[in-house]
Amino acid sequence: MGRKTLLVRCACGWETTGNEDEVVAATQEHGRRIHNMLPTRDEVLAMVVRDDPAATATEGTKP
Amino acid sequence: MTRTPGGWDVDGPIRAEVFVVWLNGDRLELTGPCGAAPWILELGATDHPVEVVDRTVRDVVGEPRLVHSTSWRRDRDAVILSFVVVIDGELVGSMESQPIGRRELARSGATAAPREIATEQVVEHGLRHMAWLAQDDPVVRAELPVPWRDALAGYTPEPFRSLG
Repeated sequence: MGRKTLLVRCACGWETTGNEDEVVAATQEHGRRIHNMLPTRDEVLAMVVRDDPAATATEGTKP
Repeated sequence: MTRTPGGWDVDGPIRAEVFVVWLNGDRLELTGPCGAAPWILELGATDHPVEVVDRTVRDVVGEPRLVHSTSWRRDRDAVILSFVVVIDGELVGSMESQPIGRRELARSGATAAPREIATEQVVEHGLRHMAWLAQDDPVVRAELPVPWRDALAGYTPEPFRSLG
């Protein structure tokens, strides 16, 4: 899948970066576990707040 | 005690707003996976709100001492059910935590809801609710050790304090 590094930020302060597959998986897991919701892949990608081609895909998830 | 604007947020017409409270010494503090910010859960059409909150808190934080619905309001295009969840200090771990300040309540009109309700006012109302339950409800009272009841005593209306 895409190699661009994407950033998704939740209103609760949680955020994740990575490639498309990574941010989708991490965001769906955060939504399911923390917020009792399961966004679709398209819904996650619609939430991307930044494409950062300069960043690596290994930044991971915080907090 | 704020949420980050923009980005992704919980959707749905009914949501739970969880305030995880613990006793740090003699001081009540807010914590949770979102730190001191409100922890928002989506509630599905067939979900029982208390069950969802209890299950999610157990999964993410650990076994709660009390889960109690304390108020509701309409906000952000949804009905939001507010919960106070009491946990023991050893569950806080690395979660961010902040002392709880006092606020005046958001007062309703005789037949109308308050025009605005701040998060701190929801917490204030929740803790006053818990203080009342600590006096009135034997289940809640049994779950709250004396230091908790002492901390909540400041949230009890003055005429009620002597009844404890």
